[in-house]
Amino acid sequence: MSGARRRIGPRGEVLLGRFGHGYVAPAVLLVAGLLYAPFLWTAYLSFTRYDGLEPAQWIGGHNFGKLIEDPALLTSIRNTLLWVVGTMVLPVGLGLLVAVLSYDIKGGVWFRVPFLLPYALSGAGLAMVWSPILSHGGIANTLLGVDTAFLQDAPVNTVAMLLVWTWQQLGVNMLLFVVGLQSIPREPIEAARLDGAGGWQLFRLVIWPLMRPLTAVVVGLALVASLKTFDIVWVLTQGGPGRNSETLAVTMYKETFVASDYGYGSAVAVMLTVVTGLASYLYLKRQVAS
Amino acid sequence: MFRSRVVTLGVAALVLTACGGNGAQPQKKTELTLYNDKGAWTKYFDEMGALSKQSIGLGMKPTGYTDSAQYQAFIKASFRTNVKPDLFTWQTGGMLEEIVKQKQVADTTDIWQQAIQAGDLSKDLAPYYTIGGRQYCVPMNVAYWGMFYNKKIFGKYGLEAPKTWDDLIKVADTLKKNGVKAFYHTSVLFSFVWFEQLMAGTDPDLYDRLATGKAKYTDPGVVQVMEKWKSLIDAGYFINPGDKTDPGDVLKNGKAAMVSFGTWFNTSMTQRNMKSGEDYDFFVIPNVNPALPKTSMIFESGPLCSLTKAADPAANQKYLKWWTTSEAQGKWASSRGDVSANPKVSIADKALGTVTKDAGGGQYRLVNRYFEATPPPVLTAALDGFSKFVTEPGSYKEVLETIQKAADEYWSAHQ
Repeated sequence: MSGARRRIGPRGEVLLGRFGHGYVAPAVLLVAGLLYAPFLWTAYLSFTRYDGLEPAQWIGGHNFGKLIEDPALLTSIRNTLLWVVGTMVLPVGLGLLVAVLSYDIKGGVWFRVPFLLPYALSGAGLAMVWSPILSHGGIANTLLGVDTAFLQDAPVNTVAMLLVWTWQQLGVNMLLFVVGLQSIPREPIEAARLDGAGGWQLFRLVIWPLMRPLTAVVVGLALVASLKTFDIVWVLTQGGPGRNSETLAVTMYKETFVASDYGYGSAVAVMLTVVTGLASYLYLKRQVAS
Repeated sequence: MFRSRVVTLGVAALVLTACGGNGAQPQKKTELTLYNDKGAWTKYFDEMGALSKQSIGLGMKPTGYTDSAQYQAFIKASFRTNVKPDLFTWQTGGMLEEIVKQKQVADTTDIWQQAIQAGDLSKDLAPYYTIGGRQYCVPMNVAYWGMFYNKKIFGKYGLEAPKTWDDLIKVADTLKKNGVKAFYHTSVLFSFVWFEQLMAGTDPDLYDRLATGKAKYTDPGVVQVMEKWKSLIDAGYFINPGDKTDPGDVLKNGKAAMVSFGTWFNTSMTQRNMKSGEDYDFFVIPNVNPALPKTSMIFESGPLCSLTKAADPAANQKYLKWWTTSEAQGKWASSRGDVSANPKVSIADKALGTVTKDAGGGQYRLVNRYFEATPPPVLTAALDGFSKFVTEPGSYKEVLETIQKAADEYWSAHQ
């Protein structure tokens, strides 16, 4: 650093102090232009009636009033919560289980490979693969010998889609947990073993607390991903039948781009942002505090 | 030194911006872009591009979207940017009116007048393209809706194409007795098909009034139609709406004996190596109400449009004019095995040829497809509603009330 200062010299330092912020200006402009400006524009649109063509017409809080009264919103919120809870139990919980079971055993790497492969698929591609399996009269019905329309009745359809989501996401969660397990120093584990700890006791009292920082990251990422669930639902059910499998992100998309009600769609987007922001804040605050 | 560099850079940026600006002279184009929401038809658009290059020296490059909502959002956004398509497909009804009102669509009145005079377009088609007494866009395609049926299944049980609604129900009953599902329906996207068919075949005037907000979805006539629809579902004529088998496969493998779709569905049959008149056939669905003077036939036409502020308006107009000719329409219809907007084009498929001729001769009451006839916010609520109804037929009153709520909100701001 001192070498660099010598090369810049006193005049250079003055210039760097005066114009140094200019170096970050492109990045700042990019972020402001691509993230903050659209966000503010969306927030503005949420107070307007706008069909994407005619000039937006200011209607105050009407869209938010409509949002509160909309019975479909309650279904969306219920389904979104189901996605959040389900994600914590299934892809995250099972990811941890598989990571622990496959850790430190012979051939563990090969055991983990099949869980990782589905992660290579995009959400939409994943849904395309599962559509003929879950549809009425599809492969699942034939294999299980049942006559169930897995994608029709609520909340069965959301649970079915959660299982598809688990099939894809379990691997990456497992991988992160394995990284966490590998980063734990051997000494405390060996010391605990010498003290007679083993199995569940060893995991609960030694391994789990040491993995806490990584768990915070995995749960945080899964929380945000589940709150914005869109592609799987859109391809498999389009939020239906009726609106019984809609999530908040699907509601936002449908109102904005299908119904061309950009104002109302923006209000849903603002609400989704607030919910995601609040959930992330509360979760991170709790993690930092503990 | 630093200041002079900043000034130099600033000037250079301004010069570059000016060079890339849109204040340019109209360009002379030899190839046009055609944006569409029919991604699966790219092959056919490519063939049309090759033919137009040969015939009028104007090539065409298609860009196909497969998601209609994304496509519409893109086109609307393109109106405000310099990334504009030369030509684009759209929808008739409120959707066309919406963009015409914004002065985004080029007037095609001259093309229409000349084409009608030359016998290349039917006068009956003009109202779907007329807004404020002027025409906009030209028909990219037309389609008539009716019933495709599996001829082998019909033959097996000694059935014939029905002429009356009672005949149709007798056919459905016979199939039911033999353990065959009569009709296809779905809870996704095309959930409106049976609603529009039953409405148009029962009270087409009420159907038209619904589309323009002059009648309510809770009116007794609409409620009766839903009850009729429910009785057909309760009778067990339909396959499960959650079955995601492609309707082409449904008909081919006999999962259902009949599938109601537009004539464009013929392409699905030919792509599955099914032979018209042997493996499958087509009939016009009879009215539910036999007292109606004409059989109602659902009709759709997709417009091919040009923007008002196009890069080369003359080239666009030339292309649209060519699209209406029998040369272009003949190629378009024959490559896809569909009907044509040009009455001069002869349709190879016998059943579709007859329908086209009869429809052009005024034998049917043409009813605009629900998808085009209904404003988007009402349509969205209706598609959701019908999708709920087909899975829970008992919910019809609640469904109608929900659609009416969306209609009330829309028409209160648009009447």
